[in-house]
This record gives sequence, C-alpha cells and structure tokens, in this order.
Amino acid sequence: MKRSKGSATHRHRALPVLLLLLSAQLPRPAVAEQPPWAPGVERALDPSSRLAVGAARVALHNYNFHAASPSGLRALGQVRKATVKSIPGVGQKCYLQFTTEDYRSRENAGSCLATVLYPKKKSPPAVNIKCINTKDQKQIQEEDNRLYQKLKRQTKPITGSNIPDSFGNIEPALEPVWALAVAGSSYMMWEKSTEKVGYFMTQVKSVKQWMRKDDSLEFDYVILLHEMPTQEMISCHMRLIWLPGHPLKVKYTCDSENHRLEDGSGMESGSAAGIIREREENF
Amino acid sequence: LVDESMPKQRSHRQIPEGYNYTEYHPMEEIYKWMTQIQESNSELVTQHHLGKTIENRTIYYLQISQPSNKPKKIIWMDCGIHAREWISPAFCQWFVKEILQNYKSDAMIRRFLQNLDLYILPVLNVDGYIYSWEAERLWRKNRSPYMNGTCYGTDLNRNFNSSWGSVGVSYNCTSEIFCGSGPESEPETRAVAQFIEKKKTDILCYLTIHSYGQYILTPYGSTTTPPSNNEELMHVAQKAAAALMGKHGTSYKVGSTSSILYSNSGSSRDWAHMIGIPFSYTFELRDNGTHGFTLPSDQIQPTCEETMLAVTTIIDYVDQKYFPGGAVMLTSGTLVLLHGCLKETDLV
Repeated sequence: MKRSKGSATHRHRALPVLLLLLSAQLPRPAVAEQPPWAPGVERALDPSSRLAVGAARVALHNYNFHAASPSGLRALGQVRKATVKSIPGVGQKCYLQFTTEDYRSRENAGSCLATVLYPKKKSPPAVNIKCINTKDQKQIQEEDNRLYQKLKRQTKPITGSNIPDSFGNIEPALEPVWALAVAGSSYMMWEKSTEKVGYFMTQVKSVKQWMRKDDSLEFDYVILLHEMPTQEMISCHMRLIWLPGHPLKVKYTCDSENHRLEDGSGMESGSAAGIIREREENF
Repeated sequence: LVDESMPKQRSHRQIPEGYNYTEYHPMEEIYKWMTQIQESNSELVTQHHLGKTIENRTIYYLQISQPSNKPKKIIWMDCGIHAREWISPAFCQWFVKEILQNYKSDAMIRRFLQNLDLYILPVLNVDGYIYSWEAERLWRKNRSPYMNGTCYGTDLNRNFNSSWGSVGVSYNCTSEIFCGSGPESEPETRAVAQFIEKKKTDILCYLTIHSYGQYILTPYGSTTTPPSNNEELMHVAQKAAAALMGKHGTSYKVGSTSSILYSNSGSSRDWAHMIGIPFSYTFELRDNGTHGFTLPSDQIQPTCEETMLAVTTIIDYVDQKYFPGGAVMLTSGTLVLLHGCLKETDLV
C-alpha cells in the first residue's frame, strides 16, 4: 500500500465498488473455510468468523494509527457484512462493513466500510477504510488539544509503568499517555497482523517522555501486545512523536518470538530483534 | 459470608458489610469465602475437595443442592482455568452469591434447584492464579516445572484428552499454549477430568468461564465438524447471548470455537462434550480488547449481571428440557403414575 503523506485522510477510491458488492445478495457458504475456492470469486463470510472479525480489527488498527487522535480511538463493535475474494498471486481481500465503539466508553462511534488485503508475501496488510462519525469531529479535535496542552504544561518528563495496573486502573494523569500508546501501537499491530495472527494492546509496561524543544511530544514506550492465537505477550519498544492534527511518527522494535503452532501452519510472530521499523512522515 | 441485607431489587451500590463481590480477591480470600459460604448456607451448600495442584494446593468446588428425595442432575461450572482471566473467578463467586440470595424469591432458580444440583469450581488453576497476583499478572498456565525447572507451565485448556496435541498447541514449554507432556499430564486436569468422568451420566451441562472477547463458544475447537446437537446448542447459546445483551447492551458473538475463535485441541469443553455432556459451552467474558485481562473492577458488576442472565438462560433451558412441565422427570413409567395422582398431588 502506498503510504499516505500529510494529514490523516482515508482512502475511498474503492468505495462505490465496495458499496455495490456489499449490497449484493451473496449465498452463505456451508462452512467458513473450505479450500480451494475459485480465484476471483467473491464469497460471503459469516460476520462472526475469525477472518471477518480479524480483518475488521486490522482495518481499525490502520484507522486508529492514521487518525492520530487519542480522543478519537475506536474499537470494533460488530461486523455486519463480510465477503472475501482470493486474488491469484496477490493474496486474500476482505470487504467489510462493521460498527465501531469509542475505545474507552464503548459508546457507539459510527460504522465503517473497509477493504483489507492480506498479501501472499509476508508484508503488512493493505487497508482502505472509511468511517462515519457519530461524534462531532470538532469536539474530538478540541479534546485532543486539551490533552496536548495538559501534557505540554508538564515541566518534568512524564514517566509511568504498568498502565493499566493489575486491577485495570489507569491514573487519570496518565490516560492521555496511554491513549497515545494505543494509537501508536495500532501501527505495530497493523503491520504485524496476518489472516491467522492478530493483536490487542494489553499494557504499557513503561513510558518515559523525551523533552523536545519544538511543539511535538515525544515518548519512549515498552508495550505488551497480546498475540492471538498463540496467546503470547509480545514486548515491543516504541518511540512516538505526536502533534495534534499531524500524523503520528512511530519507530518500533518487538522482541522476537519463535513459537510454531503444531499444525503445520508455519506461523511465526514478531520481527527479529534489532530491526527497527520506521514510519515517519514529513509535516 | 452472604450479604443478606441486600434488598431484593438490586441497588447499584454495594453494601459495605460482608464480602465485596465487585472487587478482585486473592486466593487466600477466596478460600476463606468458600468456607464462610458453606457455613452461612449449610442447608444448601457443601464444599468439596476436588484434588491438588502441582504445588500441592487444594482445589475445592462448591455444591449447591436443594435437599430432596429426588435424584438430581448436575450443572457444572468452572472458573479460573487460565490464571490471568481474573473476571472469571469473580463471576463464579458472583453466581454463587446470586443463587443463594435469590433461590427463595426467584421462581426460575427455585424451579431448577428442584431438579438440578449446581457444582461450582471458583478457581481451577489455583497455583497460576496466585502467581498472577504475586509475580506475573499476565501469567496464563499452571506452574508445572519442565526441563529441570528451567521452564514452567502447561496450558490446562490444551491438556484435556480431546484430540490432544493435534492443533493450535505447542510442544514447547516456553509457549503459552504448551499442551503438556501428554493428555491429562497435569494434576489439575486430572482432578477435573476424573470427577466429571465419574459423574458424567448425571451431568447435563458443562460450562467453563474465560476472558476476554465476549463469546459464547460451542464445540469444537479441535475440528470444524459440528457436534451432533449443533442446532440446539447454537439456539440455546443465541438465546443466552440475547438475554445477556438485554442487560447492558453488550454484544457477544456465538459460534463454534474453530469457526469464530481459533482451532485448538485439548480443551476442557471439547472433552466434556466428547464424553457425552450435551450442553457444553465456553464463555469468554468482557471486554473486547480495550482492557483485556485487566478488566477494571468497576466492570465486575455489570459483567457479572449480564453473564448471570446468560448462564441462567442455559440452565433454565436444560431444566425445562429434561424436567418438562413440573418437578418430575417424565419417563413412560412416571407418566402413568402422574396421571393417577394428579388430583391429589400439588404439582409445583
């Protein structure tokens, strides 16, 4: 996928076609997975199936990263419609319609249309996503600005650990820092996801602010990602730079985990330690 | 300690006296709670020794049984097979509390307690649970030492004898889904399996409580071949999910583990169904990933309230199915007897 530059807008070139396809009445398969399917044929997916739900989550990771908004984070509500097409030599493409909730409050946040292409070759899924906003965007921006100002006002570098703690508590002062971690982690989770492997951000193990002379906020994180279905906790080191209204800058490296599943699926997670994945945008 | 001062209409505020069901409790407190629950409700509750953990701790279950001459069938529910899933033991404790507080006043509970005994195991993986409190919050497995004590823990939910070791597992102890050295290699697994095997002809329903993800999962995880009673299992699960959603609007996904979650062998729920327990379900409680395992305690009450509705929907269905139209199991023999006695008998 061509990386977008500039502000966080979402692709919607494929949208008219997407809408047409989703509105078509497609037959339901008897069993969710039954290889081999004829290439190029789009088939309906059970909206509860892990392929559909997993793809929706990947689309949302992409959305949350590009939105770069700690106040505007979304979680998956329900998948309403899903289809998948096998593209020979390229990969599997999912077409999705799903509802979303506010990441924290679980309030309805509007629905999204998305396509997720899982490439055959090991590389990040390609995502197109467009969402409706039930929350006033201006309000979200104002909340982001408020968070930003609160953090900017700190004269000493912000530090923290175990956010949330064992009991699920997040200190109110550290909530923005946690929310930024979710936004930044979304980049890592998007890149690492495949049809078979998915992620959730579990905890900020530690955070340390790097004071900057310019207007941006910079944080150094150790993040724990919950990997499915291996159930592993993957530790990642993430450097994040944020300025409201601008794309997030994220650099990361995750601990290598080499857990093969005993079903020949050849699923290996994590990147080799020492390789830094970089995602920088020019403002 | 049952808080009997609780009014019949559930208030949102927890009355300060007694055990706090809206907080997470360490194992020592749960052990004390079990003893107190039995002492305060001895006419209904007995505490039983199920077995020992690898670190030699005792695994207890509670039996809730209405005294009666009738033979009863059994509903089994276990919590805390995975250490880090703290909302699970919290739910088992809540469930027991609710039953004991409402069995006299709630018609549905009263009805099913006439026919069914409830066996509740609040914490299966005791060692792991303690470890998640004292050492590593996100620990999952038990604390079985392998490789000369250089590696610890079997995933108990991969250790049952249901297509053991075939899919969705690791043979490496360092993995979170290590299935153990063989089926039922772990004492915790054996404790549960031996007991359920012994009682299987009387067990109608096997429930196992996990988190997170918001699912009601039907068999199987080890294969995509549906169970023989799939339609009915799905129908009841959907009823339960609908009841759950009615409380706080939380949506649960319903389906077989292999189709909506992931493939895995050696699960307790698969094993229970495979040995003949017809209504076998795995619950994955709140949330959907925002907090995951570290669900804040202010969500304990709403989670438990909604899950209670789902579980009682299932128990009620099972009760109505096997004990239709009254507190008598209708075999052809009793049907004749009933007919004759109808005038005199007060059928509750």
